[in-house]
Amino acid sequence: MENSLLTLLVFVPLIGAVVVAVMPKELARVVGLAATIVTFALSLYLIPPFLAGGEASQAVEVFGSAYGEKLHFVERLTWITGGSFTIEYFLGVDGLNMPLLVLTTLVSMLACLASWNFNTWKVTKSIKGYFVLFLLLETGMIGTFVALDFFLFYIFWEVMLLPMYFLIGVWGGARKEYAAIKFFLFTLAGSVLMLVALVAMFFYSGEAVSGEPVASAYRDGVTLTHGTFDLIELATNETIQDYFGSAMFLGARFAPVMFIFLFVGFAVKLPVVPLHTWLPDAHVEAPTPISMILAGVLLKMGGYGFLRMCYPIFPTGGEFWAFLLAVLGVVSILYGALCAMAQTDFKKLVAYSSVSHMGYVLLGIAVMTHTGFQGAMFQMIAHGISSPMCFFLVGVIYDRAHHREINRFGGLWLTMPKYGTMATIGFFASLGLPGLCGFIGEVYVLLGTFEARHTFAWAVPCAILAASGVILTAGYVLWLIQRVYLGPEKPEYAGYPEASGREMAILVPFAAFCLLLGILPKHMLFDYVNGTLEQIVNSVLVATQHATTFAAGL
Amino acid sequence: MRCTGSARFATSSMSTLSNYETYLILGVLIPFVSFVILMLFGPRLGKPLAGWVAVAAMGASCVLATMTLVGWRGEDSIARMSLAANAAEHQFHWADMGSVAIHIGVKLDSLTVIMFFMVTFISFWIFVFSVGYMAGHSDEVGGKSKYHRFFCYLSLFGFSMLGLVVSSNLLFLFIFWELVGLCSYLLIGFYFDKKFASNAAMKAFITNRVGDFGFIFGLMMVFFFLGTLDLDRAAAVFAEQYHGHTGLFEDGFVLDIFGLELSGMALATAMGIGLFCGAMGKSAQFPLQVWLPDAMAGPTPVSALIHAATMVAAGVYLVARVFRLLTPDAQMFIAVIGCITLTLMALVAIVQTDIKKCLAYSTLSQLGYMIFGLGVGAWIAALFHLMTHAFFKAMMFLGSGQVIEGCHHEQDMRKMGGLMKKMPMTGLTFLVGVLAISGFGIPATQFGLGGFFSKDEILAVAWDRSHMWNEPIGHHDDGGHAGGTATADRVAHGFSRGGHEHVDRSSPPPLKRWATHVELASDQHGGGGHADGPHEADAHGDGVNRAGIAPLPKWMFWCAIITAYVTPFYMMRAWWMTFMGKPRDEQVYEHAHESPLMWVPLVVLAVFTLVSSYWLFRPMLADAAPEATDAVLVVGLDGTAAAVDGAAIHLHAAHRWLAYGVGGSWLIAFVVAFAIYRNGLAVGTRLKSLFGPIATLLERKYYFDEFYGFLFVRGCVVVAHVCRFFDTYVIDMLANLSAKITERFAVFSGRGVDAYIVDGVFNGVAGTAMDISDVVRSPQTGRIRNYVMFAAGGAAIVILLLLFFDGSAGARAALTSMNS
Repeated sequence: MENSLLTLLVFVPLIGAVVVAVMPKELARVVGLAATIVTFALSLYLIPPFLAGGEASQAVEVFGSAYGEKLHFVERLTWITGGSFTIEYFLGVDGLNMPLLVLTTLVSMLACLASWNFNTWKVTKSIKGYFVLFLLLETGMIGTFVALDFFLFYIFWEVMLLPMYFLIGVWGGARKEYAAIKFFLFTLAGSVLMLVALVAMFFYSGEAVSGEPVASAYRDGVTLTHGTFDLIELATNETIQDYFGSAMFLGARFAPVMFIFLFVGFAVKLPVVPLHTWLPDAHVEAPTPISMILAGVLLKMGGYGFLRMCYPIFPTGGEFWAFLLAVLGVVSILYGALCAMAQTDFKKLVAYSSVSHMGYVLLGIAVMTHTGFQGAMFQMIAHGISSPMCFFLVGVIYDRAHHREINRFGGLWLTMPKYGTMATIGFFASLGLPGLCGFIGEVYVLLGTFEARHTFAWAVPCAILAASGVILTAGYVLWLIQRVYLGPEKPEYAGYPEASGREMAILVPFAAFCLLLGILPKHMLFDYVNGTLEQIVNSVLVATQHATTFAAGL
Repeated sequence: MRCTGSARFATSSMSTLSNYETYLILGVLIPFVSFVILMLFGPRLGKPLAGWVAVAAMGASCVLATMTLVGWRGEDSIARMSLAANAAEHQFHWADMGSVAIHIGVKLDSLTVIMFFMVTFISFWIFVFSVGYMAGHSDEVGGKSKYHRFFCYLSLFGFSMLGLVVSSNLLFLFIFWELVGLCSYLLIGFYFDKKFASNAAMKAFITNRVGDFGFIFGLMMVFFFLGTLDLDRAAAVFAEQYHGHTGLFEDGFVLDIFGLELSGMALATAMGIGLFCGAMGKSAQFPLQVWLPDAMAGPTPVSALIHAATMVAAGVYLVARVFRLLTPDAQMFIAVIGCITLTLMALVAIVQTDIKKCLAYSTLSQLGYMIFGLGVGAWIAALFHLMTHAFFKAMMFLGSGQVIEGCHHEQDMRKMGGLMKKMPMTGLTFLVGVLAISGFGIPATQFGLGGFFSKDEILAVAWDRSHMWNEPIGHHDDGGHAGGTATADRVAHGFSRGGHEHVDRSSPPPLKRWATHVELASDQHGGGGHADGPHEADAHGDGVNRAGIAPLPKWMFWCAIITAYVTPFYMMRAWWMTFMGKPRDEQVYEHAHESPLMWVPLVVLAVFTLVSSYWLFRPMLADAAPEATDAVLVVGLDGTAAAVDGAAIHLHAAHRWLAYGVGGSWLIAFVVAFAIYRNGLAVGTRLKSLFGPIATLLERKYYFDEFYGFLFVRGCVVVAHVCRFFDTYVIDMLANLSAKITERFAVFSGRGVDAYIVDGVFNGVAGTAMDISDVVRSPQTGRIRNYVMFAAGGAAIVILLLLFFDGSAGARAALTSMNS
């Protein structure tokens, strides 16, 4: 199993989907849940190789001296070969994607459990279809995280898109069609640019290795040297890196252009203001479990993409766009928080809070410091826990009240004490209370931004502005808690049953992770990711310094 | 630079935990265990039992704290230092920031020990009181008993506050700081079915967040300029950097913030002010004082514990802890804030009619005294005041709780009066508190309550700083620093303490001399005649004239003096209105009663207020001072200290005339209060109408709430709505509009352009965007087609781009490779 664990991980949900399709529909949710549980259990096997790294120095050794040198569970097969290219089935795990994979399987499992009451939904058609698509989505997500071949990554990326589109479009709320198509078009627009980058990177890496421009090589009738889709190769091969750093594209430097192409694709997912507008609509219309997945996993693909592709492959691009990215990050933080404050729809508020929280991810990455990267990574995982929890909390009350108007709620903590306590944990985690998961990411990002003051003159102002986000966040979260959970009990909600066993079974693990991540950040996350992140940051710093000295030499 | 920060901790030694560490760690964790137990089994434990669990836990912590205190008092200076060093070795590697390791550990010094004792002791008695207070119906929220939840929060508070006290790391201090804030939020909002309670809770949390915003910024600066968040380490690096002209103090070190070029010294000041911002939030200093009076919406034991005795003191504790990182400018800032707070809030207290609000404003004013004391450098005195204040203010709040509970939740003092007969224990203990806060003592004797000494000491130092600062103190200026800025001199001066410490450690003086030594540190340089033995004055520190540091503006001293007269007045007024005179409301009077569970804690705290403070707290604080301050502006006043040098002479003289001038203030103010309120409220009412507008201004608390409500709360909401509008009508519209334009373009070009892929794509996109509902009406029935078109469209665009950019050959290459 050691050798094919990742394949198993990717395809167990798919097998589950097939089984769901052939089984009677009464068994759909059982099979679905079983498949997600098995997947989650399998994903736990990813952890042991990472446990060796106790101290930071050891962790570095575990991951080797160069980025990606110590990949685990590598599977590498030639998949498609064509005239001049090879697409590989190349899977592997390092500190960057391991936590995200475990997060994915965890959130999927809990979201599947959240789908258990499918029969009480507004749209109850085709339960089999729902679970098939759900499991297909999980395959897409896991595949996206484990693929280290760009082409394979792109395929999984698109595979993920389609089930999501249907899950929102069929089982969503009143404006589901609009929301689904909006989600689809935005993501697609982003992935088109990514496709451009994919093709360009392939040819340019070929040029780099053969030493001749593609066009002229073709003209001269020379057989093209193979380029590569291998993401690790692209990031670590010095010849390719040098060429990417100096080549031109469209009359502009190759690296910044490719960087921004990739960036837009990932920024839509993250989402970055102003490309975020699909998100509130998608969340509001999507059924609860789908919102959980959307917030918990899909948004992380953006951040993962930055860390896996943009920065390792085009470090100079990152430096080139740093200011823009940081400003977008700060704008996302503040704008998202302000928009959240003005919402009256419970779910929309949580959706905008996601925009705000993911702004920290962007800011942390944009400043290109150790602490910033660590903070961004932590924020992704932390948000991956707290945000699905908040969406589920919304779902619980929506199932009972069938509306989400914040101002119509009140006194729910009295009506449903256990649920109220869970809500307090979830929303305080989202608020960034120390001791809960949201705090660490924020503080690391802020410190990381401040740390960049030598490189970027704008870093300190950005840190100050971003730090003011903590006040806004406290404002909208507390105001929300006050309006929904505090206050006198309202007669219209008085008879609502307390959170059921199933609901608690979903909330308690989330709450536990909120606490664990907040209390033991090192042992829960940093030990696994720091080695890889350090390699990425170091290579980025080396490359950008190299670029600077190169420019100075000219 | 950053790596060295963690180097010291890398060698986590094999040595074992000392008893003190074990006690402190257990003392922190026991309330947490209680919290977990109450969280999980609280409802099953039921009404009185859940409360007693919390009491037992805090009692255990209190025993441990007492053992620590007693043991610690028995240790001599050398033993204490080695114990502290031992504690610093035991660190838990919590996380890494970048490449800097963050460790948690116990900070063991006299200040920790005494704070720990104070918190556990007061908490224990307040927990006991709470069991009595909650016995009735006070535990009901919306008609449902939330008894266990109350004690659950109290236990969590105990854990957080104790964690805050023992933290050796600023980040951890901040984490516990926020947890304390959370407990405060939860407890203020305990009666969350009441709108005013949840509003007050929110206000407290958000106001504190504003302060924390500054705190976080201070943390950032500490982390990156000093390379560590460990308190001791940061202080050492700060000193090192100053000495070596490195880091912050490197020549020409400048940081550009919003086009403002800040030098290292300005940044160091900003760092100190940033950290102090946190204290402004938690200790409710001007202009963030607005939340504390509202926080009285919580149950009264909470007001006593959190909003009078312990949590609000955390801000003062923080400033005391980071004292070594404060520049003179930062200290001046702190002094100004403290001075404004102590004056303004004392005036508001005069017009309060709600017994708890009156105490709340008095708390604000007293916190102002402490902050002011730290600002002027009276480190010992300020913390001494913190300790004494904690005891008598906790007691008075509990007394008010007894009154409120006894009078069926009547808080208006105008309806009380004459309660002495019904509640003798409460009335008497309250009187002890009034005397203590008023600074009761007999001038020229050694008799007085805690407040008498502590406030006097702050005032004496303030007098020295404001009036005697520029006078010669018997040593020459060597001229080397004559041209330097005040700030630089102060810092130079400050760090010269390192040398003294060295000397002192090698031959530890008795406790008394320690205190004296610290008091006089500012004056020993170059004095030569000091009997304390050789000084290792370092290269930067010798011969610095204390005149090089700006003296305190005189008005600040006078504000503090005048307030010393105001304090006894409003306290006596409150006491008289509540307990003396004729009952003004028969119904309230009839119901009044007291219960032993509630008055026993009062008596205990009163006894402590009477006997403990001077002998117990002050020597310990004086002992902690050299290590914890590492600065010369620490001036304490020991009335019996030998006058060996300038400052001591000044202070001693100050003490003498202050003792007469202010020492009797309580008597004068008492008489005035008695004269006005002797016969009920009539005179008071008349006086109020006489001072019409001023009284209104005070009653409305200077209109801070209105101002903030309008500017920040409403302002923020308006901006939020603008953002929402923008999001809905601009960004969204743009997205929809672009879909629309694409559609039009497609319709136009679809007829002209004959490349079928392009045609299909645009139709696909446009069609979908144009008539969304039509397209997705039944997505499950085969809209795959659309998807394929999109994907094909993507590929087409790629190819078009390549055609365009790389020439036709490149595109053909692309096509070939795609197709093959």
